[in-house]
Amino acid sequence: MPDTHATLAADSDEALARRIAVGVPGSTDAEEAELYRRFAPRVRLYGRRHLRNDSAADDLAQDVLLLTIERLRAGEVRRPEEIGSFILGTSRMMAHSEHRVARRREALAARFIDPVVETAPISVTAFDAPRVVPCLRALAERDRLVVLLTFYADREAPRIAADLGVSPGAVRAIRHRAMARLRDCVLGGARP
Amino acid sequence: MTSTRCERIALDDLTDYAAGELPEAEAAAIEEHLYSCADCGARAAEFDSLVRTIGPAVRSAEVGGFVTDAVLNQFARDGLRVRTFALSPGAFVPCAVWDDDEVMALRLRADFGGATEVTLSQRVAGTEVSRTTGQVDGSHGEIIYATPAAGVRQLPVVEVEVLLIAREGDAERPIASYTLVHGGVLHRSHKARGVS
Repeated sequence: MPDTHATLAADSDEALARRIAVGVPGSTDAEEAELYRRFAPRVRLYGRRHLRNDSAADDLAQDVLLLTIERLRAGEVRRPEEIGSFILGTSRMMAHSEHRVARRREALAARFIDPVVETAPISVTAFDAPRVVPCLRALAERDRLVVLLTFYADREAPRIAADLGVSPGAVRAIRHRAMARLRDCVLGGARP
Repeated sequence: MTSTRCERIALDDLTDYAAGELPEAEAAAIEEHLYSCADCGARAAEFDSLVRTIGPAVRSAEVGGFVTDAVLNQFARDGLRVRTFALSPGAFVPCAVWDDDEVMALRLRADFGGATEVTLSQRVAGTEVSRTTGQVDGSHGEIIYATPAAGVRQLPVVEVEVLLIAREGDAERPIASYTLVHGGVLHRSHKARGVS
């Protein structure tokens, strides 16, 4: 009996989209899950860049993919061969809308309530903290600090540069080097 | 055999993109490609996973080193319990962490005299027990060193000398020293019961 996941993994995005579009409700769960698996990380990355908040990026990925699947089922995606473009367009539309809602929410919060402590994002990840901790420790001091300031404290290069007394270009170069080392270390540690 | 995998979006591009530092047109071009390319999409997924794990890894309070106020502020926003000691050169201070502290932060004040690379050496009874070297900006007369409180809790009652040394080429120049007198762990539950 063929492995459904392995079979679907070999299918193109277009093939998945077409099958969801013509399938009766409930018969394309595996295809929908595969479409979600493929695109959710890309939408989350998009959300991280545009919404600057991991929780909001998680929500965006879920909303975008649910809407995409609904539109496919309803036959409202005219060009399944361009499903990636459709998902990107939906990401842009929903992020823009979320951005406006978030701005309004922040303005209201600033006026009426105390700052809320954000919780850790809940998302499915291939890496876990115990694997990343020793790799962060292994980075050079400045490299680690730039990674923390960028991806933990959400600081942009000019502010990091001012904090560290270096140029924004140097921050960028340090970050490139540090992320390459971090990735190599984490992937290296993943190998048996 | 040559690889046919698409390599158009490299790790550096993803890093710049996620850091929000690309011009809109460049970012949009990356997005267009990422959403239509399976190879680059898979690379983006791996990168997204790595970036997302940095926060939980840092929040585990097992990563220390030289930090800045921005990192300490994020610790506070994340609800981490940080025990901070602000030390002037020559300071001799009792130092203890509570049993629920997660990070100990040392604000080390000194005249850094333009030093850009500093070694922080911790010594017990004249023997070096740890050494951390990094590039720092001491132009404001202070650097911050964070260390997991769990490690501090394991120390016996002991005096730890903290030496700051400027590194200039092959030469080393002492900047300042501080002495922390570790008095063991403070138990918040005991305090609540009125036990000192």
